Amino acid sequence: MSDDRAETNNKKDDVTTSRRDFLKNIGIAGASTLMAGSASAGVPADSPDPDAESTAAEWLQGHFVLMSEEDKKEAINRLEKRYTAKYDKKTTVANTPPLEGVLFGYALNIGKCIGCRRCVHACVQENNQSRTNPVIHWIQVMKIPKGNFAFTADKLNDGYPKSSAFGDYGVQVGGNAYAPVGGLATEHAQSYYSADEMVPDKDYFYVPVQCQQCEKPPCVKACPVRATFRDPNGVVVIDYNWCIGCRMCQLACPYQARRFNWGEPNLPPEEMNPKTHYFGNRPRMRGVMEKCTFCVQRTREGRNPACLEACPVGARKFGNLLDPESDVRKILATKKVFRFKEEMSTYPKFFYYIG
Amino acid sequence: MKPQIAPTTVIIVLALFAVVAGGLALVGGLDTQKAKSTAVEEQAKATDAQPVTDCFESRVAYTAVTRTENIVPQYGYPNIKCSPKTSGVLWYGDPFDGTIPMGEMPEVTDATRGDFVNAVVKPREPRLTYFNMGPDGCATCHNGTMVVFPKDKKPRLITMHQDIVANSLQLQHGRGAIWCLDCHSATNRNKLVDRQGREFSFNQPQRLCGSCHGEVYIDWREGIHGKRIGAWATGGKKRWWVCTECHNPHTVQTNRFNPINAELPPPPPKGMKNADHERVGQNEH
Repeated sequence: MSDDRAETNNKKDDVTTSRRDFLKNIGIAGASTLMAGSASAGVPADSPDPDAESTAAEWLQGHFVLMSEEDKKEAINRLEKRYTAKYDKKTTVANTPPLEGVLFGYALNIGKCIGCRRCVHACVQENNQSRTNPVIHWIQVMKIPKGNFAFTADKLNDGYPKSSAFGDYGVQVGGNAYAPVGGLATEHAQSYYSADEMVPDKDYFYVPVQCQQCEKPPCVKACPVRATFRDPNGVVVIDYNWCIGCRMCQLACPYQARRFNWGEPNLPPEEMNPKTHYFGNRPRMRGVMEKCTFCVQRTREGRNPACLEACPVGARKFGNLLDPESDVRKILATKKVFRFKEEMSTYPKFFYYIG
Repeated sequence: MKPQIAPTTVIIVLALFAVVAGGLALVGGLDTQKAKSTAVEEQAKATDAQPVTDCFESRVAYTAVTRTENIVPQYGYPNIKCSPKTSGVLWYGDPFDGTIPMGEMPEVTDATRGDFVNAVVKPREPRLTYFNMGPDGCATCHNGTMVVFPKDKKPRLITMHQDIVANSLQLQHGRGAIWCLDCHSATNRNKLVDRQGREFSFNQPQRLCGSCHGEVYIDWREGIHGKRIGAWATGGKKRWWVCTECHNPHTVQTNRFNPINAELPPPPPKGMKNADHERVGQNEH
């Protein structure tokens, strides 16, 4: 741990230097671009960086959605070439379009979730997150004490002000008022509970939280450059190349679902997943935001998200909200369903249910 | 990855800041070296670590699965990736590896239109310890001569198979209403049997369990209860988990799902030594 920190501190110096350099050189870069007219022409042939040409082209790349088909193809070829070289395995960057007539929804049974965190690590395997320094998990599992509605005999006298040196002053609040009374009371949630314990603990329930794919996503409203947006399937995705790293979306999100690459991500080549999507799990760079995309590289091709496949108890269900025969619609119709932080009026398409 | 600086300017920048950088390197050289060496060590550790090959899916020991490399050659995927900490299966390269068609399912004429056309399951029989001890499965011993067939279903003390049920007189499933031979066929031990005497394969426990646990069974048929991986679309190819892949029928009254080890938590944010603050006040109620 301490070693980690040493390394991180080093990185910090790095960041500040490069940021300063970057600001100083904006002017020069702009000027050279104007003169050169096109990106690749601006790179000297004997440039020491083999990626220089594509780096320059990427620097001038526009918002992916607004790009022409040719430019998209070129951008993707560029990325594929770079990832293939960097991770030493054939990498594909898909641009699978959104599906017709599909609105993705997710349902999670908190009555069944055992809090084993397999979904968290399945997500890391699938989505090419940074493994060390920084460690990035897109899913956070909260361990929350079960509430107590029962007024048992031994608790009848609870709730009176406790005696202190100053006397018995204070307000009487009634039995059990000092214990949570159930529900998703996150003030008692533990997100860092140890991996040494066996789960489930019978006194707790577990609530995994990831991007809720809101219908009214506050992060999209907050993004000043529209790098993050809601795709036609209702999934909020990010164009990592267009992201400026201002982290406004992270502040706006009430679910703590967004993660920022503070350092250069550390992704060991042998663990890298070579099947990627432009808006999904392609390796990210330093200084961009990332989050759950419902595994856009899988779901747009018909397969379930990785977290669902990892869940050993089948607490996770995924499907098309427009299809009345889908698992998610059946759950919405028959189970006790709620949304997390409903009062935020974000209208998540991630539903929690019991039963 | 992301271009921090336009490449045309890289050289100029390098030249301009060579002096400054040199000074920085002198000051920070020691730390940098230390960090580099730890990074190298970490990397060496990571490459030394071989991937876990003996894994389990839901129930420890009863859902064992072995990692095979390069099942999907296009991406170099193994069939599964497992947790180095708990050896639980985390990720499926090929969700249908080692599966067979689910087999016939009875029609249920109410709203449960089970989506079984493309349903596949992982067969249970190869994963059962006692079933695989002889060429004829359980019947290697339970053939009527080596172990005689019991005359009735009355509970009695059994000295064998105590690893499955410790005390056969206190079998908890059904709270004393049923006993081993209500589910295991007395004369054909390779099969399960229901109250009407119909025999089912161990690969299709749902047909037996469903005869009592109808409510859950209907949810399972609908796709609400239980786990299914593969395609998300209705009618797509899915691998279904059957009852005994998650539940141990012999101890289900004690634990609906037997506790397993958790995976690693995220490290606390930088600057936070531990997460003890989370547990403050946890034991007061």
